[in-house]
Formats: sequence, structure tokens, C-alpha cells
Amino acid sequence: MDRQIRPIYEALDTGSNKSAILACNKVLKKQPNNLLVKALKALALVRSQKVEEALVLCDEVLASKPADDPTLAAMMHVLRGLGRHMDMVTMYEDAYKQQPGNEELGTQTFFANVRIGNWKAAQQIATKMHKQFQDDHYLYWSVMSALLQAHDPSTPEALRTVLLKLAHRLISSSATPSFYNADRFHLHVNVLKELGLYDEAFEMVESETGKVVCSSNLACDELRREIWKLKGLTKEAGERAEKRILEAKDRNWLEFLAVLDGTFADLTSQPSDVEAAKAAVSERIVKAREFFGKIVEIDGMKDRSGHLALLELEKRARHHGLATDSAALNSSLEHYFQSFGGKACCYEDLKPYIELEGDELARWTAMLENQPATFASLSDIWRYINAQKLLRYNLSAADLTPEAETKRAVQYLDAYLDGLKLGKDLPSYDLQPADDLAILSAQAFVNIWKQTGDEAFLCNAAALLEYAIARSKMSYQIRLHLIRIYRLLGAPSLALEHYRSINVKQVQNDTLSHFILSRASTFSLSSIGDLTYTSECLESSRIYLSNSEETAEFIVRAFGSEKYSQIPDFIEFEDRLDNSLQRDLVKMEHVRMRIAHEPINSELVDMELIELKFIFDRVHHDNRDFDILANYQPRSVASFNQQTQFLEKTPGLGWLWVFLKIYIKAFQLASDLDDTVEDKLLIGDRPKPSYDPETKIPLNERLAMRKQEEINELTPDESLFYDYASALSQWLTPYHDYTRPPPSAVLAEAAKITEQKTGHPLKGLEISADAATNGHAKKDEEPPAVVEPPAQITQYFDDMLKRFKEVLEGKGLPHELLHLVTLTQEAFLLFVIETTRFKTPSVIKVNKLGALAQHIKEIRAKASAVLAEISSALVSYAEQEATAERRKEVVQACKPIIHESGLDHDFVLNVAKKITDARKQITDGVGKGLVRVCKTHA
Amino acid sequence: MSVLRPFRATDMFKFNHINLDLWTETYAINFYLGYFSRWPDMCAVQETPQGRIMGYVMGKAEGAGTERHGHVTALSVAPEYRRLGLARKFMSFLEQVSDENYRGYFVDLYVRCINTAAIHMYEGFGYSVYRRVKEYYQNLGLGLNPRDEEDGFDMRKPLSRDPMRRSVRANGRDITVSAHEVP
Repeated sequence: MDRQIRPIYEALDTGSNKSAILACNKVLKKQPNNLLVKALKALALVRSQKVEEALVLCDEVLASKPADDPTLAAMMHVLRGLGRHMDMVTMYEDAYKQQPGNEELGTQTFFANVRIGNWKAAQQIATKMHKQFQDDHYLYWSVMSALLQAHDPSTPEALRTVLLKLAHRLISSSATPSFYNADRFHLHVNVLKELGLYDEAFEMVESETGKVVCSSNLACDELRREIWKLKGLTKEAGERAEKRILEAKDRNWLEFLAVLDGTFADLTSQPSDVEAAKAAVSERIVKAREFFGKIVEIDGMKDRSGHLALLELEKRARHHGLATDSAALNSSLEHYFQSFGGKACCYEDLKPYIELEGDELARWTAMLENQPATFASLSDIWRYINAQKLLRYNLSAADLTPEAETKRAVQYLDAYLDGLKLGKDLPSYDLQPADDLAILSAQAFVNIWKQTGDEAFLCNAAALLEYAIARSKMSYQIRLHLIRIYRLLGAPSLALEHYRSINVKQVQNDTLSHFILSRASTFSLSSIGDLTYTSECLESSRIYLSNSEETAEFIVRAFGSEKYSQIPDFIEFEDRLDNSLQRDLVKMEHVRMRIAHEPINSELVDMELIELKFIFDRVHHDNRDFDILANYQPRSVASFNQQTQFLEKTPGLGWLWVFLKIYIKAFQLASDLDDTVEDKLLIGDRPKPSYDPETKIPLNERLAMRKQEEINELTPDESLFYDYASALSQWLTPYHDYTRPPPSAVLAEAAKITEQKTGHPLKGLEISADAATNGHAKKDEEPPAVVEPPAQITQYFDDMLKRFKEVLEGKGLPHELLHLVTLTQEAFLLFVIETTRFKTPSVIKVNKLGALAQHIKEIRAKASAVLAEISSALVSYAEQEATAERRKEVVQACKPIIHESGLDHDFVLNVAKKITDARKQITDGVGKGLVRVCKTHA
Repeated sequence: MSVLRPFRATDMFKFNHINLDLWTETYAINFYLGYFSRWPDMCAVQETPQGRIMGYVMGKAEGAGTERHGHVTALSVAPEYRRLGLARKFMSFLEQVSDENYRGYFVDLYVRCINTAAIHMYEGFGYSVYRRVKEYYQNLGLGLNPRDEEDGFDMRKPLSRDPMRRSVRANGRDITVSAHEVP
């Protein structure tokens, strides 16, 4: 037997699924009921994407309730591959029932429940196993499961305390004390904390053994600090922290915060006698100032803690109206700058403390302005950079005239070019110390653009940053700036080039892909068959698949190795990635690009409908990293991130919701699937139901809801598009509902296709004989009367043509132009999706909808005419872009930054060429795509 | 100065400014989760008072007998937080945990032979080259001498259980092994 099975495993291990299937078939010929081989064949089929065939085998194996390890293990992989985790639970439960003495099966049943987050069952199994096998770790499994169940959103409020009490009772019954293992100890203290038993928790962490555990385990130490706080021991914690700082030389900032919190504890604990509390705190402030002063003396420039604590002390004293020395803040700031101005982090350290006004601001500004722009060392240049950033932060709106800002931008740039000398001998892969000066200059230019709307300033920023990136190739910061600017300038191919150079990988796709994929359909050329952006969407989405395939396994592993402190974080991580807002924003963009490229048929429509409906039930998390983009803009204006948003609106949850509503509605009309059919055709588990009460409202009502806070996230043109889409679907709904074939006919068709593919009928489906007709069954009621299409539909395309001309003549930026053009194309495609059903002459005839067909024809003709007109205008716009005159204009505009050598005329001309070429490419492509799309759907 | 706290799974959403550095690799999520699910006490971050991550360290405990040791798998500090003593704090943290929690004889780490800044730094912390490992790393594509770009140094520092300093040697730079000979 082994001799026959081994080649199958070998083939599977090496990824040769084809030969695995052949080897399985060979065995199955002689032993048609060999469960293990069937399971292995199912696995090979799953891995070769032959899902339908795999399903048949999979169901056969499950039906015979396997109980031997090899078959179970193979089936575990099959079910995981199919996303059928519920079936995995049932399979192991059945096997465990057959062999209740089998500890391994018990463990696997526990793990199967852990994978799907079924904490209730997990807790019961673990408790049972603890009784049966008497091993302590099962007890802790059940405690952890009870705790997780208490936190699960599906658990009713009243049950939570019951579960926590159960966890407490269980953990107290443990034969061995929890402190033998740091993670058991962590779990124990956590249970006490959740139950509000702070005295007991305090006793644990402050016991001799507890102290030892906390001293070498950061997670336990973190919990210890929390317990102190929860017990209201703020003052005591402060005193303890003073000791740690002085005696153990601990420079953990948390210790300094503890001292600060202790200092103000009398006031922050809502005192009954405010005046007395103020007096007490005043005294403590004096002491704290002395204490931190002493630390500053001891540490000198070795550590920033004492210095920063003095600033924080001053800030808090002011907040409570207890500042005594009005010059203290200024002198602390000056002292800090003198000590640490030469470190890159100085600006960030000081930012919270420099919102100064009047004389204080004047004194601070004067000090900073005295920083010379001579760079003999790394410290010198950082001192200058920090001074510029700090000065810039406090500039008032009046200081920011285009002239003043241009002067500053040039000053930063000159300092940058000078600073390059300092790093001239660095290896090519090192960052230039002067980089931030180039970034400051670029941000100043962007700020002028924001005020004046003159794209010349964006070109200046782009050209100088291109110069900087050539000298500091590894600077992701410079590249992120370029990406933002190139998208505004309508040069997406250049933006993409820089994005790829950053080499975004793995989980970073979730947090960073927004830089390039936010509203990416604006820049997609899928309409002319260029799938660059389409595949970028797919690439960046692979991380979500690895998350759903792998993360749950590590929750299982953390149970296995008893690292309880990690489990809640793993669960949160999995959930945040699985329900990531960016994931579904990218999905939406992908759909928008897809319809411009692929034939619009039932395959596309049905699949997208199901997927988008799942998304519509999710509770999303926004993991996008915007903080990574440096901001050196003054506090009186918007941040650099906000300034360089696409049309001043970053798509968020509201934006996603609007587009989901638009597309679900459109696909729903176009599709023959209804919910009953969908259930039958679904393969994996349905996603867990959401706890958002809104998802309980019937789908059609949800789709019709219009919410202002969602509309607020749209650009004006997107808002028009939304109105158009709503009007369109409303107008066409009655005709779709009347014409759509009955569910039984749709199922019959699906069954026929499955049988053709696999040779097996669709499972669990009985088709009545009369349903198997061609879907044109006679209806009892009369067709709905055809009404005129509302003006929102007929007028839309004319309005967009007008908008296009306005923006074109008003010299709007290319991204604005592309935005409204791609939306007009999308409106046409939406129209195609929702009218494809009525293209079939027999449908029109049988349902007597001739008048409707006439309206559709007219609207399509109108839309096509408008798109053709825009197309030719856009193509000639593209022609003008790539001319020597345009390049010359760009170079002219960059006069402020052009130097004699290095960043010279030729360099800028080269950048100008790249920009204008990129613009030509996208406008020409989008323009030609319009005609192509019209032709495809004529 | 910083806040030293555990490195957790959800920090993966916030470590971009550290990982977009030439010397720092972003691994698949199972790499990080693998460490957190086995040696969570050897993974830590330091963050600013404002809660921004400045750098992180990931380590593991391996080997048996006198080979029992702590291993530094990754240590990275964002460029803007360098020259502030963060690496020293991470290393002493990892040495303490390797010593107290895992009773190791030494701590070791690998570093690219061309990363001279890092090598000097570790020497300053008491580490010394134990051996040179051929082709331990992937080429960075910098076009330098491929031997230096791909080879790594195995550097070690003895802990309190090794007072006779048997886990280190003076002539480590001269001893070369191939990548498959090391764990």
C-alpha cells in the first residue's frame, strides 16, 4: 500500500499536481473506495484550480466520516484550500466522537474551532480535554477561549461577565501556579484586570515572583504599569519611577511619563478642593523641575529624556495655569535645541511645544534665524535643517505670499545644493544628509501651487526632486513626494516608476498602495488593452490571500506554544487585514478598470455581484499609512498630504459605500442570480455575519439609502455620476424585474454547465421538469409600461461635455481632465451593463418592450457622440503636450530653480520631456480608449 | 530615550518608515507571526513619545548545551532616529532576555560584510567576528564586489554563563564557512 501512496505524496510535495492526479487514478482503479487516495486526489485538484471536481470528491470523503490521521490531514488541506472551515470543524468533531480517547484528535478539533474563531466550542473542548487528559495547558486553553469569547462582538453583554468569572474560576483551579510561565502569568493577570479585581492583580505583579517575571518580559511589564494606573496609584508610580530613573538608570520614557503623571495627579483625579490641589501640585512641579534638572545634569547630551521631560512639565504646568516662570519654556526650548539640534529627531521632539505667540515666538524665531547655513559637519547641517523646519512651522498666513514662499524655496534649495558637498563621498546607496532641504523646497513650491493654482510651481518641485533622487537613490521620502506630484501633473507612468522603485512588499501593500492605486481607474489604460494598473491591483491584493490562508495557523500555533499574550493581537491583525478598507478600495478600482477592458457577460456580472455584496457586509478598518509622508508645512495651512490629495478628496469608507451601491445595483439588474440561486452556487463558507445593525436592513433598501456624509467624500463629478447612476437604475428596474428568467431556470442552466464540466450533477439540486425551458416562459402579468427616461440620464452626457470644455479652456490640471473623462466613460459602461439584457431582440419581442429599446438606442447614440467628441479633443490635447514649445514652457516655468551647473537647463529640460511625454501617453491613450469602448459596445 | 515595548502583530501596519530602508527586508507576514508565536519576549520596538515606531528588534533562542544562545534575527532603526543609542538599548535588552529567560551562553548575529557602519557599532557593544559566512545574503544589486555584498559576518558576544569567553575567538575574520554550514 505504502508503495502506491508514496509517489502521490512526492508528487504533491513537489507541486506536480498533474502526476499526483494520475497516480491517484491508478490506485482508485483497483480500490475505488480508498478514502485517503480520494482525499489526496481532491487536494491535487484543488491545487490545480479544478474546484468543481474537487468538490465532488471532497463531499464523498466527508460523507464517509474519515477518522484516520492521514486522511484527516489531507482533508484539512483540501478544506482550507476551498475555504470550507466549517466543514473542517464537523469533520474533526465526528472523528473525535469516534475515538474519544485520541488526544491528537481532540487537539485538532480544538484547533479547527480556533481557526474559525468559534470560542464557545473551543472552550468546551478544552475543558473536556483537561478533565480527560489532566494536562494543565488544556486548562489554560479553556481560560483563553473563555476570555476571547467574552470579547467576541457576537457575545451578548450579560454573558461577558459570566465568561470572565468562568475564566477566573478555571485559572484559580490550576494545579501549578501561573508564574511558572510568563504567558500564563500574563493571562492570569489579564483575567483579574478584566474583572476589575485590581487588588488581586496588583498583588500578583508585585509579588516576588511577579516582579521577576515582569523584569524580563515586556508584555507582563506593560500589564503591570496598567494595573498600577487602574488602581489609581499614579503618585506611587511616579515615586517608583523616580527611583528607577535615578538608581537603575532607566531611561524608558514611560518612567518619565509616570513622574509627570504623578506630579499632576492631584489635579487630574477630579479633586473636591481644587485650590488645595493646585497648591499641592505647584509644590510638586518645583520638585519635579529639580528632579529633571538633576537628570539633565547627569546625562548631559547622552540622553534626551530629562530635557524633554522639562518641556513636558512646562507644557502641562501652563495647561493647568500653574506656570510660574514665563521665560522657562523659552529657555528650555533653546537649551534643547542647543543640545539636540544636531539630531534628525529634534524637529519632531519639539513640535508639540512650539505653538508660541507674541514675544515668546519672536524670541524663539530670532534664535533659530541665527543658525548659520555653513555645513562643516553632519551636526551643522541637521542644526540648520531643524531650524528651518521649526521656523516654517510657525509661519503665519501673512508670511506665505507666493513671493515670500518662492524666496524660501530658493533658499532651501541653495542650502541643499551646498549641503550635497557634505555627502559627496558617501556610497551611492546612502541617503544624503541634505535631503530634507530638497523636500522643504518642494513643499514650499507645492504650497504656492495650492495658493495660486499655477502648475508651474508643481513642475519646479518635480524637477528639483528628480535632481535630489538621482543623488539619494534610496530616499523613499523623495519618491513619495514625486508620486504625489506626478499624479497631480497627470504623469501616472512616472509616478508608477517611482512607486516600483520603493519596492513595496508583503503587508506594505495594504498600507502603502493607496499612493498609487487610490482612484487608479483615472489613470488606467485598460480601455486600450494596457493592463499595467489592472495587474498592479491584483499584485497588491495578494497579501489578503496570504493573510486568510496563513494567519489563522499562527493563532493555532500560539495556542500550541502557549503564547497567550499574542493571541488577541493576531486576531486583530487578521481581522484588520481581512477587512481592510484599502483592500476593497482597490477591488472597486479593479472592477472599474475591468469593465473598460473585458466583455460584459454573465460571468463577469455574476462573480462581481457576489463579491461586492460580501464587501457590502464588512466592517472595515483603515490601515492606510498617510503619516509616512513628511509634513513640513506651517501649522497655518493644510498638511502636505492634504494639499496633494487627488482633487482634495481622499476616498474613504463613504466613497467605497457609494461605489458599492452603484455597482451592486447595476450588477444586480444585469444578473439572473437571486439569493436562492447564489446560495446553491457558493463554494466556500459565507463570511461571518457583520455586527453592524445596518446590514440587517434588506439589501434593496440599503442600496437606495443616500447619505450626505458619504456624498461628502465624492468629488463634484463623482457626485454627478452617482446621481446619474441612481436615476438609471431606478428607471430600468421594472423592466429587468419583468424580463429576468425565474430562479429555477437559472439553476437548471447552471446545473447543465456543471455537468458538462465535471460529469457530475450539481449537488443538492433537484430541478423540476417544467423549469428546464429556455427562460422565456410566458408570464401572467402584462409588461410594465415604458416611461420616458428621466432628464438626469439624457442630460448627463451633454453636461459632462460642457464640464470637459470648461476644464480644458480653464487650463485645469490634466488629472482633473482625466477624472471627468474617465467618469463619463464609466457612465457609458454602466449604461451598457444595465441594458445588455435588452439587446437580445427576442427578449424585447417576447416582453413587448419595443419602446424601451428605442429609448436605449437613443441614449446610447447620444453617449457615443459625446465620447467621440471628447476623444478627438483629448487626442489633439495630447498632441500639443509633446511638442518642443510645451517643453520650453515647462523649462521657463522652472526658472527659479535652474542653476549654472548640476541642476541646470539641460537637466530641467530632460525632466520636462519626461513629464510632457508621460502626459501625452495618458491623455492620448484615454482619448483613444473612449472610441474603442464605444465601438465594442455599439 | 524612547518607549521600549513589545513588538506586536499590529505594528506591521506602522513600520513602513523603518522597512523602506535598503538594509531592512520586509518579510512575509508568517515570518513575523512565526517569531511572535514562539519568542514574543525577544521581539521589541522603541517608539517616540508621540507613539511613532523608531526601530525594532527580533530575536530567537536556539541551540543546545554550550551552543545554547540568543540570536538577533533583525534589528533596524529608521534613518531619522539613528545616532541616538537605540541599537545599544535593543542589544542589551536582547542580551538580558537571552541570559535570564533562556540561559544562553552567547548572543550572535549576522551582518553583511559591506555594512561597515553596523560592524563598528556591534564591535562597540562587545561583539566580535566569529566567522565569515559565504553567500549568506542575496545580492543587493549595488554592483559592488559581489563577495562582500553577499557574504556575512557571524558576530558573537559571550553572556554571564560563559565567563571564560569560550564562545568567541580572536581570528574569526579569517575563518570562512559556507552558508549551508550555519543554522
